[in-house]
Amino acid sequence: MAYTAQFYPGSTSVGINRRKQMSGNLEKLRDIPEADIVAILGHRTPGADYSSTHPPLKEMGEPDCPIRQIVAPTPGAAAGDRVRYNQFADSMYFAPSTPYWRSYWAAINCRGCDPGTLSGRQIIEARERDLDALTKVQMDSEVTDMALCSMRGCTVHGHSLRLEENGMMFDMLSRTEMGKDGNIYYVKDQVGIPLDKKINVGKPMSEAEAKKRTTIFRFDGVAIGGKVGARKYDEAVEALHHMWTLRTQWGYRPE
Amino acid sequence: MVTQSDTETVQVEIFPFRILTPETAQRLLSEIYRNGGIIRIMIQGPNMPRFVTYGPAKGMPIDANNQGLMELGDQAFELKVKVGRVRLELESEKYLDGVRAACERALPFTFQIKKGKFFHDRMTVTDYAKYGKDVEDRRILGLIDPKAKKDKLAILSEKEVTTDNEER
Repeated sequence: MAYTAQFYPGSTSVGINRRKQMSGNLEKLRDIPEADIVAILGHRTPGADYSSTHPPLKEMGEPDCPIRQIVAPTPGAAAGDRVRYNQFADSMYFAPSTPYWRSYWAAINCRGCDPGTLSGRQIIEARERDLDALTKVQMDSEVTDMALCSMRGCTVHGHSLRLEENGMMFDMLSRTEMGKDGNIYYVKDQVGIPLDKKINVGKPMSEAEAKKRTTIFRFDGVAIGGKVGARKYDEAVEALHHMWTLRTQWGYRPE
Repeated sequence: MVTQSDTETVQVEIFPFRILTPETAQRLLSEIYRNGGIIRIMIQGPNMPRFVTYGPAKGMPIDANNQGLMELGDQAFELKVKVGRVRLELESEKYLDGVRAACERALPFTFQIKKGKFFHDRMTVTDYAKYGKDVEDRRILGLIDPKAKKDKLAILSEKEVTTDNEER
């Protein structure tokens, strides 16, 4: 039966944004050059060859396997690239995405990647050229606001801290800074090694814009139950209760 | 010997809704200091390391964290945290309005001032291990975190504080 996946229930703005992010139907807000993204990732010099862990699959002579015949390898796997990572921290002050939604987005929309969710950060591991492509989608689209999200390979502290005076998330290693022109600049790569040149990643969202695009339910923003004081909860709560009942009473066997 | 105040002291916590830049922190502390009546000040916030402490960039300097020289009274000290909250012990209730006014002048965003008990005054085991049995100036108790090195403490008063002079 043909159907359209719903991904997430509810009619609140957060529910709609969660659906958008899971479906991969993302709005592109900026265009950061690929070379800059490679520099921020810090795994290789922009323009350098990808390091590899095995020869290209075509040269290896794969065994006769029906699954391998059905599933086409990703470009990175086909070329034998090394597995690399990106890691983002998102502020709890209305960042557009959260660790869980970055993971849902990656798991649903990106083939051959391994997303890992932690409380205040989210890591994705993938073959290097696949990682470059998916990082560009993340950096260019509405899942990332340059003030409230940043790429942090280590020393990620910042998610649950108050914002700095200029509205940016705290970063112990000062990887990003706000220029006098109001743009955000990366001055270090994701692990804190200074870059050869500052990378302009554009202006941050306004507070109102971040609240509009966020996937975080908050009491001082959009509550998970929908409109406070309404007679009926939003569908998100009903679905949550339904799943919780099924899970606790029937071991999540929805027959 | 430190002169004891005969009025009841008041402890307050200033909690700004943003983490302060060194400039704003300097402005706030100067305003509070000018208001007078301070027995103790403690500033707290996320650490600002001077060097990357681990990872591939370990050992590299972090220049942005190296701008925190504070001047308060006739003393200068290095700011090692981004100021997230300030705790004060005041000589009496009458200084409270002045602290609120100082915050309003110095902070361009929302803040909370809470009155309560923020410094412990009985010696903990760690205090005992660090300072010994006889601490002449008991203001030192509850002022610094037990794991802190001595250089996290700046003595702004002219009154004698013997504990800091001892080598332990």
